[in-house]
Amino acid sequence: MLIRKRSTIAVLMVLALSLMICSSAFAADKVIKIGALFPLTGPAAVSGQNCVNSVLAAADVINKANPDINAPLAAKEGLLNGYKIEIVKADHQGKPDVAKSEAERLYNQEKVFAVIGSYNSSATKPASAVAERAKKIFMCGCSSSAALTERDYKYFFRHAPTDAIESKEFVEYIEYLNKEKKAGIKTLGLIYENTEFGKHAAEEAHKAAKHSGLKVVADVPFNNGATNLNSEVQTLKAANPDAVFGAALGGDYSLWVRTMKQVNWLPKIAINYCTGYQNPAVQKELAGDGDYFMGGMGYSPELAKTFMPEAIKIEKKYYTPRSNQPFDSDSIQEGVMLFVLAQAIEKAGSLDTEKVAQILRTEEFPSVMSLSGKVKFEPGGQNVHALSVITQIKDLDYKTVFPLKYQKAEPVFPMTPWDKR
Amino acid sequence: MSNFVQVLIDGILSGLLYALVSAGLSMMWGVMDVINFAHGEFLMVAMYLCYWIGEILGIDPLFSWIAGGIFLFIIGALTYKLIIKNSLGKAAMAPLLATFGLSMLLKNFCMNRFTPNFRLLSGTIMEGKTFEFAGAIVSVPQLVTAIFSLAVLLSVYWLIKKTRVGWAIQATAMDKEAAELMGIDTENIYLLVFGIGGACVGVAGGLMTTYLAVHPEVGGLFSLIAFVVVALGGFGSIPGALFAALLIGLVESFAGFYIAAVVKYVAVFAIYLVVILIRPKGLFGW
Repeated sequence: MLIRKRSTIAVLMVLALSLMICSSAFAADKVIKIGALFPLTGPAAVSGQNCVNSVLAAADVINKANPDINAPLAAKEGLLNGYKIEIVKADHQGKPDVAKSEAERLYNQEKVFAVIGSYNSSATKPASAVAERAKKIFMCGCSSSAALTERDYKYFFRHAPTDAIESKEFVEYIEYLNKEKKAGIKTLGLIYENTEFGKHAAEEAHKAAKHSGLKVVADVPFNNGATNLNSEVQTLKAANPDAVFGAALGGDYSLWVRTMKQVNWLPKIAINYCTGYQNPAVQKELAGDGDYFMGGMGYSPELAKTFMPEAIKIEKKYYTPRSNQPFDSDSIQEGVMLFVLAQAIEKAGSLDTEKVAQILRTEEFPSVMSLSGKVKFEPGGQNVHALSVITQIKDLDYKTVFPLKYQKAEPVFPMTPWDKR
Repeated sequence: MSNFVQVLIDGILSGLLYALVSAGLSMMWGVMDVINFAHGEFLMVAMYLCYWIGEILGIDPLFSWIAGGIFLFIIGALTYKLIIKNSLGKAAMAPLLATFGLSMLLKNFCMNRFTPNFRLLSGTIMEGKTFEFAGAIVSVPQLVTAIFSLAVLLSVYWLIKKTRVGWAIQATAMDKEAAELMGIDTENIYLLVFGIGGACVGVAGGLMTTYLAVHPEVGGLFSLIAFVVVALGGFGSIPGALFAALLIGLVESFAGFYIAAVVKYVAVFAIYLVVILIRPKGLFGW
């Protein structure tokens, strides 16, 4: 009796194992593995998880038949006659060294075709260097350090506007306010995290300010994840600049805003790079304290209504159920990069990295989730159609204030003081 | 001048907070010679507890710190009973590695249950309250935390110096076997020390919820600073921890404002290195 029982268990185990082997072998034939390398833990984890959710949403649009969505590859199931995209998640914790080793693991052990990532510019830099050495494709959605596309890499492609583009736009906006609204903005303060991203943003801000005659009176880097930002905000307050450009991610952003409230100081205008400003979850936690700040954005639900109706469909169907919030301008760009990569694979008609990379370098791609509606990469990998607008937040609503073509509301300027809110 | 006063006040308030966070660690380290690597995560657990009490029950951190203190007393005592006790007397690094494991467990448990989202309580009684003093702005939540910190430190100091239990703690710290020969139940003393250590950091975490966002990584830098404070002040010395914490708060604040914000932690760790090189047992060490 016991022997029969044991033999039955053994037969069942063999069957189960064979099924697993068969199914994985079957799956391996028709799957394109793509790595999603983001900070899933650490100070920028919330944003990193949103980025992964955006990539997963894009994969769902490609893998499933979505005739209701008017986007390339949406109507039919999969690509290359039946291939499905499989996303392999990896966590770099916001640390450059971990990003490098995880990129190596993704390419060498997981055998991914390409990697999408990595939010923090400081992590994107070493991870994409791994890709370049291995001659593998690296798709970067929102890392904004201009240095990333100044390396003349052949396999690196970036969607986001760089800090250089955003800095110029911020300064143009200040010039517009000075000219049209008699704003009298003459001095500038910079507060930024002491990382690849923050330092490059500050460098570009210096260049743009010099070009337009703005005087930088405070340059305040800080260590991210700090216990307090008292000295940093005191330094800003003592210099009392008319405008402040900020580059503080996640929790550091809320700490910065709350510390400014604590010392009862605000500049006339505060504009943020790709930071905690763009994250609705961070703004929700800040309640009204985040109001009247501004920032560069490539997406807002309000902008999407007019310029990206298909993005709203994708958001409702596949993104919001995962993230419980709308796309933000960082996360959406990671999904865009999967769409662009999938289109390039489809055009190449094979999984030959060289062919796909060549198409990425030369072709222009329609993109329903980009504000400009299209994507094209110049040598070095920068998207020449990268576009961002300046928004101002009030009651968790991002209103576009500049460029005038996209303007939906007049800015509240200068920012309403803390004691009058 | 107002800048100087502002920087001075910021430094003192930060220092007093660091003192409260460090007091518990100092006791554990001083009495038991055990490095609790999970100290920062204890702080994080207390912050989450008081955050959820505020969010779900609507109880302000001004009151829920009591729950933070009690809960962390229990967590501290349980940590001793279930982890430290079993690792003492084994390999020299066993308690350290065990508490490191505990820190990973707590951090990942919170990451899994509460996501890495930053959570900030809004609409608390003290939120955004400030007043002017000598041309400087004083934040009421930070001032209240500092006052509580002083009160808790004085209570712990009084407990150790003026009560029979405190004398038993001191005796256990000096010579465990001799203390046992004198009839002191050292097991209970260890349990109590871990409990009090947990309670101190629990009170700190509870009060911090008023002005600092809670997330699974929040304890990291605080625990690092706590280790520096304890080593600088002298293991097991509460006045030492207070003095060292104030020193670190002031160095951080003045270096951050008068040199450059980015060097504030560099200055803190440089002072620590210098003191440890000159006086390895710390400023007030035995």
